[in-house]
Amino acid sequence: MSAAGTLTATRPRSGRAVSFLFFAIALALIVATPFLPNYYVRVINSLLIYILLGIGLNIVIGYAGLLDLGFVAFYAVGAYSYALLASPQLDLHWPFLLILLVAACLGAVTGILLGIPVLRLRGDYLAIVTLGFGEIIRIIINNMDWLTGGPKGIARLDKASILGIQVARPIDFFWLLLVTVLVAGVLVWRLERSILGKAWAAIREDQDAARGIGINTTNAKLAAFATSATIGSIAGAIFAASQRFVSPESFTLQESVLIVLMIVIGGIGNILGIVAGAAILMLLPEVLREFAEWRILFLGLLMIFLIIVRPAGIVPRSFGPDKLIRRLFGK
Amino acid sequence: MTLAFDRLRKQYGQVVAIDDVTAAFAPGLIHGVIGPNGAGKSTLINMTAGSYSVSSGSITLDGKRLDTLKKYQIANSGVARTYQNIRLFDQMTVLENLEVCFYPADAAGTWKEVMWPPYALARRESRREKCMEILRFFDLQGYADCDAGSLPYGRQRMLEIARALVPNPRVLLLDEPAAGLNHHETAELTARLAAQRLPDRITIIVEHDMDLVMSLCDNIIVMHHGKLLFQGTPAEVQASPDVQLAYLGTANDIDDIRAAAQDRRAQLGIRARRRS
Repeated sequence: MSAAGTLTATRPRSGRAVSFLFFAIALALIVATPFLPNYYVRVINSLLIYILLGIGLNIVIGYAGLLDLGFVAFYAVGAYSYALLASPQLDLHWPFLLILLVAACLGAVTGILLGIPVLRLRGDYLAIVTLGFGEIIRIIINNMDWLTGGPKGIARLDKASILGIQVARPIDFFWLLLVTVLVAGVLVWRLERSILGKAWAAIREDQDAARGIGINTTNAKLAAFATSATIGSIAGAIFAASQRFVSPESFTLQESVLIVLMIVIGGIGNILGIVAGAAILMLLPEVLREFAEWRILFLGLLMIFLIIVRPAGIVPRSFGPDKLIRRLFGK
Repeated sequence: MTLAFDRLRKQYGQVVAIDDVTAAFAPGLIHGVIGPNGAGKSTLINMTAGSYSVSSGSITLDGKRLDTLKKYQIANSGVARTYQNIRLFDQMTVLENLEVCFYPADAAGTWKEVMWPPYALARRESRREKCMEILRFFDLQGYADCDAGSLPYGRQRMLEIARALVPNPRVLLLDEPAAGLNHHETAELTARLAAQRLPDRITIIVEHDMDLVMSLCDNIIVMHHGKLLFQGTPAEVQASPDVQLAYLGTANDIDDIRAAAQDRRAQLGIRARRRS
């Protein structure tokens, strides 16, 4: 028993300083954002959208262990929900919050629709099918000209407003996104710690043994797909409202891969890791902007380096939000 | 009210793994299943737990068909099992490995757990309490927060049995629980299993360790080439010339059976890890 005691007791104290540093940076960034030029606010907004997408996709990849390469499909469903329900395209002008609700429901339904055929698949096979699903949604959007405007996309989307307050400037979207990310982050984190989160982990570790202890893996997996897709779809609706333009180009396979990369580099199965991964993958291209065509090369090398040095991600699974809170405020 | 096999059969193409086995297992007893390698012992366990499909015949628990149910439904009907090659949730903690067994009971309250922190706290606390009690019974409480995959082999065996006991199962199926354990650990296991002999529980042990089987089991089934060869008390089994013939090819004494079992244990000693 003593061996087990020493295993958990020894932890570097420097963790606390690092935790404080990152917490301070995040807080400073939030406080400073209203005073930054619009360009930077837009960068931070897209960072927040990617964090939101990462939180959603992480449910399927990180918690349930199902490699989904078609996540961008749900993002597209949300974006086109807003584009169709709040634009001259169909001459519909629904209120923003109602569309958000519709997008969330549609997202959940598409999530389940994708989930049902892939229930039996795992690993590489699942990745291929979901990849195909993502492409199918994009191609459908590209070809249904009469509804989606095809490759031209849909322009002149309505300005969003929430309960009479207009949400139009980048800074408005910053607050909206910040609140959404925080709410989604807390809910998903609580979901992870709930009994369903434990069941997802069991499915990830050994699906057959999970069935052996009475877990209905079908339902648990569909729940993972549905919640994940809901978050992706909400992110899409907010994205569409902030761009006021959607086109199929925003929903390519590359986007799906980018979100997966964020999760893998940041730390699979850890919300804090997603924040770190998103920050690196979104902010580095901005920092490296002057290197022009060398940018992607640098980014690629950095990824290889990070994966070699920290194979479990920048913030490993074991350092979750509860650990951070304990480091910051506890003993 | 028992667990019953009725003309149970498992066939892979032309190969018959289980050949019309009919048997009944009374509650309150520990039943041993023994037989030479390839006799179909593990297949019986796997069919009962729903891991393998049944070719023909039926499995019933208290008169209710089990073989038509899905694996998770069989588990929720009160059948718990362990595996020949340990199958824990390696990257979850020891405590979580047990807690997750409450999923069938608590799944409906998931959203309440997410939305209402006091409820979540109460549920988590009650789950934790029950699981810690089982961990203490297996002397694993000191490992509660370690990853299950990092435990020593012997402790992993114990943990897997602990996990099977969380839902307080009607039927407990143990597939070679002593494989790879040393003498001390086997004795420890024997004592713990004896303490888990409940009046309502049907325990079935597939095992090659004859000391464990003979000292623990009340009733022994001997399998040979997929058929039920012999059924009786440990004393009857030891005296049966048929059983000795099946094991050794010649009617010989029980000590040679022990030697054969020792070889088998050495083979199973090291557990292959499924992933890094």
